[in-house]
Amino acid sequence: MNRDWDRTVLVLANDIESAHTLVLKDGELALQQGRQGEPDLTVISDSDTLTAMFFGDITPTEPYLNGTLKIKGSEDDITRLDFITLLIWGE
Amino acid sequence: MPLKRVLTLRTVVATSAGITLATSSFVAAAQVAGFLAGDSAWLSILVSGVLCLLAAACFSELNSILPSAAGIRLYLAKAFGEKAALTFSLLYMILLLVVVGAESFILSKTLNYSIPQVAPVIWITVMLVAVTLMNIRGIKVAGNFQDIVTYGVIVSTLLIALWGLKLVHFHLAAPLATGGVSGFIQAVAVGVFLFVGFEWVTPLAEEVTESRIIAHGMFITVGIVCVVYALFTAAMTANVSRAAFMHSPIPQVLLAQKVLGGVGLVWIVIVSLACSFGTFNAGLLSISRFFYATAREHALPPVFSRISMRFMTPWVAIIAVFAIGYASSLAILFTGRYLVVVDMAAAAECVIYVLSAAAVVVLRKKMADTPRAFKAPFGLVVPVFTMLIFTLLAVMTIVTDPAIGCWMAAGLVVIGLYVLLAVPRIREKYKVKRHPRMRKSPAAEDRVGPAPGVVPAVEKGGDQA
Repeated sequence: MNRDWDRTVLVLANDIESAHTLVLKDGELALQQGRQGEPDLTVISDSDTLTAMFFGDITPTEPYLNGTLKIKGSEDDITRLDFITLLIWGE
Repeated sequence: MPLKRVLTLRTVVATSAGITLATSSFVAAAQVAGFLAGDSAWLSILVSGVLCLLAAACFSELNSILPSAAGIRLYLAKAFGEKAALTFSLLYMILLLVVVGAESFILSKTLNYSIPQVAPVIWITVMLVAVTLMNIRGIKVAGNFQDIVTYGVIVSTLLIALWGLKLVHFHLAAPLATGGVSGFIQAVAVGVFLFVGFEWVTPLAEEVTESRIIAHGMFITVGIVCVVYALFTAAMTANVSRAAFMHSPIPQVLLAQKVLGGVGLVWIVIVSLACSFGTFNAGLLSISRFFYATAREHALPPVFSRISMRFMTPWVAIIAVFAIGYASSLAILFTGRYLVVVDMAAAAECVIYVLSAAAVVVLRKKMADTPRAFKAPFGLVVPVFTMLIFTLLAVMTIVTDPAIGCWMAAGLVVIGLYVLLAVPRIREKYKVKRHPRMRKSPAAEDRVGPAPGVVPAVEKGGDQA
């Protein structure tokens, strides 16, 4: 289902110096510190929101809709990323 | 931070114009001409376009401070609060679905005119089912192909209009005779419908390198659409009798057939199909994604956030959008009141422009320190003037048919009550009892020193941004 979705996602905190790159390739996910090449998607928020999100304490929907969480990328990729978070964390 | 795939100005204009150019717009153009004496419809369309440029300036400023796919929903939420934003966004989306219904009705009449053996209801069913299946399967029109189609529609409409004007030796009977101020204002108000959707390009803010591209795209689109419909309407009033185009749901067919005969008929049917396909596709896609996102935040029942595991699309939201759009198409088909929908959409668009302009004023105070890549010039003159003029236009549209005001007020009350009473219950019912797993945020770590094991082990390498 997502095996063909090869993407590079850069996660940036805008209140501290922090960058992580998620590389999805052939259904495998690798996490690297720092910035790796040109990303398909860039996820930007403050470190508290990012941490809460990745620990699953909040879903990305609310910070995205109130403008705290910004995502740069194509609409298709943003939608796909949202679907994946829905599958991981539920409604 | 460069992205691998970014949208160019050409595609931004094609997207904005693709949504704006609809078959139902030809009907609105005919209605604009009907309010005026002589061949002066082009003048009111020009004024509508200039006023829409003011609205575009407001949208550009909002987009530059809040560049998000959430678009107008986010602007209104930041300016007026969550409940007001949800109420107006839901009302706007449902009205746009009704427009999809009107669009499918008008296209079905166009197709039925060229192939009378197939009844309009069959055309409506086939078209909406086809677009819905495409959306469920996640099939999207390739960007370049969409660009070609949109620019093809623009060039085709211009050529037909110019050919029509050539037949009358570019002579208009009374190009400046509007026949009265009241009729002219009503024509300008309905003329706003011709530009409905140009602002729907703001959700692409996350796909461009700088928000100025979105601003430029909107300004160019309004200019192009203005010229296309001004010329088209001038050609129509010069070649087709007033009685014929005012009472027909297919004025574009009448013009094309009059000036180019059978070739014109085939040509305009293709243009109409291209226009409507873009409107259906963009409408169903955007509105279903809105329903999905609203369900994700529990403002609609969570069933709307179900996704197809096979196609990765929100199939329940898409089917719900199809059901509402199909129902409105059939209602328009059986009542024949498509002009009410056109007027209602024009009034709704005016209200949205008023709210956006008001949001600019509010956010100039609330987010005064946020950098703006684009700022509407002359202080508060542009947003305040936009608020006043579009309020007047909305009132004038409602005066044309008071039923429009009643329907819109009823919709606002029902959706307002839903947001105030039902949404809190849905949120309470589906509130997930999450056990906090977050340990310490990186910012907190910086303050107290990193704790071992807080951050998952990662590979080192690359530049720290």
